[in-house]
Amino acid sequence: MNENLLVVSTSPHLLGRLTLRSMHLEIMLAMTPAFLVGLYYFGLPALSTVVLAVAGALASDYLIGLLTKKPARLEDLHTALMGFMMGMILAPGAPWWLCLLSGALAVTLGKLIFGGLGSYPLNPVLVAWAAMSLSWSAGMNHFLEPLALGAAGKWTQAQTPLMQLKGDIATLAGVYEMKNLWLGAVPAAVGAGSSVALLAGGIYLIIRRLIPWQIPLGVLLGAVGMVLLATYTDRRVVEMGLDSFGARLDVAWFHLATGGLMISAFFLGPEPVTSPVTPWGTFLFGLGIGIMTIIVRSWGSWVDGAYYGVMLMNLATPLLDRIRPRVLGKVVTGA
Amino acid sequence: MKFSSWFKGIRLPRPPLAAPPVELPAPEKVFLPLRQHRGAAAEPKVEPGQSVKMGQVVGASDEFESAAVHATVSGTVEAIKQVSDPAGQLVSTVVIANDDADAWAPELVALEPPYNNAAGVTQTRPSRLLKRVREAGLVRAAVQGRPLHVELSPPMAPQSYLYMTGIPVMRPLDTLIIKAVDNDPPVSPNLSCLGLAGDRLEMGVAALARISGARRVILALPSGADSGGLAALAKANQWETVTVCQTHYPYTLDNLLVLSLTGREVPSPYGEPRDVGVVVEPLITALDVGQVLATGRPVLDRFFTVAGEVNKPQTFRVRLGTPIGQVLQAAGGPAKAGKIIVGGPMMGLAQYDPHAPVTRETEGVFVQAADSVRRFTDQPCIHCGRCVSVCPVNLMPSELGKLCEFHHFEAAADMDLLSCIECGCCAYVCPSRRPMVHYLRHGKSEVLARRMES
Repeated sequence: MNENLLVVSTSPHLLGRLTLRSMHLEIMLAMTPAFLVGLYYFGLPALSTVVLAVAGALASDYLIGLLTKKPARLEDLHTALMGFMMGMILAPGAPWWLCLLSGALAVTLGKLIFGGLGSYPLNPVLVAWAAMSLSWSAGMNHFLEPLALGAAGKWTQAQTPLMQLKGDIATLAGVYEMKNLWLGAVPAAVGAGSSVALLAGGIYLIIRRLIPWQIPLGVLLGAVGMVLLATYTDRRVVEMGLDSFGARLDVAWFHLATGGLMISAFFLGPEPVTSPVTPWGTFLFGLGIGIMTIIVRSWGSWVDGAYYGVMLMNLATPLLDRIRPRVLGKVVTGA
Repeated sequence: MKFSSWFKGIRLPRPPLAAPPVELPAPEKVFLPLRQHRGAAAEPKVEPGQSVKMGQVVGASDEFESAAVHATVSGTVEAIKQVSDPAGQLVSTVVIANDDADAWAPELVALEPPYNNAAGVTQTRPSRLLKRVREAGLVRAAVQGRPLHVELSPPMAPQSYLYMTGIPVMRPLDTLIIKAVDNDPPVSPNLSCLGLAGDRLEMGVAALARISGARRVILALPSGADSGGLAALAKANQWETVTVCQTHYPYTLDNLLVLSLTGREVPSPYGEPRDVGVVVEPLITALDVGQVLATGRPVLDRFFTVAGEVNKPQTFRVRLGTPIGQVLQAAGGPAKAGKIIVGGPMMGLAQYDPHAPVTRETEGVFVQAADSVRRFTDQPCIHCGRCVSVCPVNLMPSELGKLCEFHHFEAAADMDLLSCIECGCCAYVCPSRRPMVHYLRHGKSEVLARRMES
């Protein structure tokens, strides 16, 4: 090749530093604090859950790449991220085959069947989660009693706060200490327990402008608003006799700290491919997730509505993307 | 500036402090394309073998939207041949061999300076000033730049797209924005000319205001740069001064500058600042106009910035028609050039031929070494929405890019594809490194071609 040839391309000739690989790496980095808290409380089972889910995801992507003669793009780390996220929302006591299968299902049924990165309509992790919950609910609900790192004892199966809540509405009023709920020292999924760690990771992503701030804000506002509404209208909660506004807010904090709400607000909801992009669209998307979560938790038959809320709003994404800001300088006809 | 636009666009690194321009000696040969502007190409007025003097007209046209081309050296016309210009197109070009005499054309040699100060300018009829500007053949420094005398005239006829939709048309031009900021730093000829404030600038601005009829003159100064005597000059002449953030790209582009300085939205697509009564001219144009009025001679050289990975980034005063490669050598030259970009890094045109000449449409060149050339990829759009959040005109580049990639051009046009200003912010932030501007440009050209057919 001639050494003096010049490169010709369209503008711009400068590109930002962000690549798919670095973006996915940063999202994984933001999830790491929550994962570490999970490791602290659930130890080896938590580690094996996540490792198996990631392994299942990577292996299935690679194998399907071989089968379809279309090499998998493992180097952009998206498959690894999906596996990691999958592991984060599994119960730490889930059997090994279930973890492996969840990761594989997320990549095959959630992502590749629609055409890979950029094409899937629903969050792949949640597709796999829904399929597994419907098929093997016992394994998916095998939550463990937290044991702080180094504490002696055996892993025992336990019920999450939200499961307790389904059976007994009085769980809302101070059965769990608020501090334990927010730190994640209660039976929970591997990475979804520690709301504080998830919040920190999410704020990092917002500052780095990797997720739009409107989605988490919408989720939290929607959830808090809906909880407050429920405390005034739901007969069972009204009968508990919450007298002050502060007590009602405590109910809201309980809901924010439990289940999959925080991980949905900061990681599953703002997943790029399946979330809207316009300013108001993203906010409404988040609001919908928050409202759906609380509706299901308060009046639905399912334990936690956050994941189904995300999936439902994913379906509304093309619609929400039509709420566009006005183009600068566009002359509005017929006005 | 609106609060919401603060988060749009991108932040570029601050350009290095600009040194004052340096004179570059005339080259052995100049290449003068006969089309250095938007509109009709000039027709050659000289023949091969003929000897010409500096300032002699070598090409002119009777069309209104056209600019005269002058010989920038004295010597012999070697040929009139097709040469590729900075836009990459073959244009018939007058090649003049320099005889190093630097002799002016006889009618320009002993000349009374027509104007000595700004007061003299403001007492002259605008049409006389316009005639001088037109004879000097000044052109806006942008690819497909308009001749200056066209830019200064109010829109000739009511623009149909404005009347059809019923928004009021402001015919008279009432505001003149002199921008001392650059479109696309670090190519910053305006920044390096900040120190040249003086009588000529005063005369130039006075003439621009007089011709356009603008009562209000706004001087847009770059933030964080020493504006020299410019602030004092502005105060003496009652120009308003506004400080504009130089590193917040693309808010120094004309249309966006008009919005943030006057609050008027330039209609899109096809709109231009003149439609809302504003004329935007760069500082270097005002300096050129001042020089034309002070000397009575056409301007034969221009400010030309060499930036990027060269040994000595610098703004030069270059004779028009000098091959860009020679200017690069004067700047220390790149060891191994990967990309030579006329214009700036964000909106410039990559050259395939370093021998393209400096024309009136160019204002500088940005050089990238071979190993710092960034490449686009064919990865899919992941719908992350970063492009939507940075787009200064509120488009959805992600959707438009996908539509254009798969040839749904009309659907893209319905989503305001034609309003795109091609600033390149979407491609800059794209984690998939998609060639967004390429897709959108392709779509625009297809849409326009189809509309021309029907």
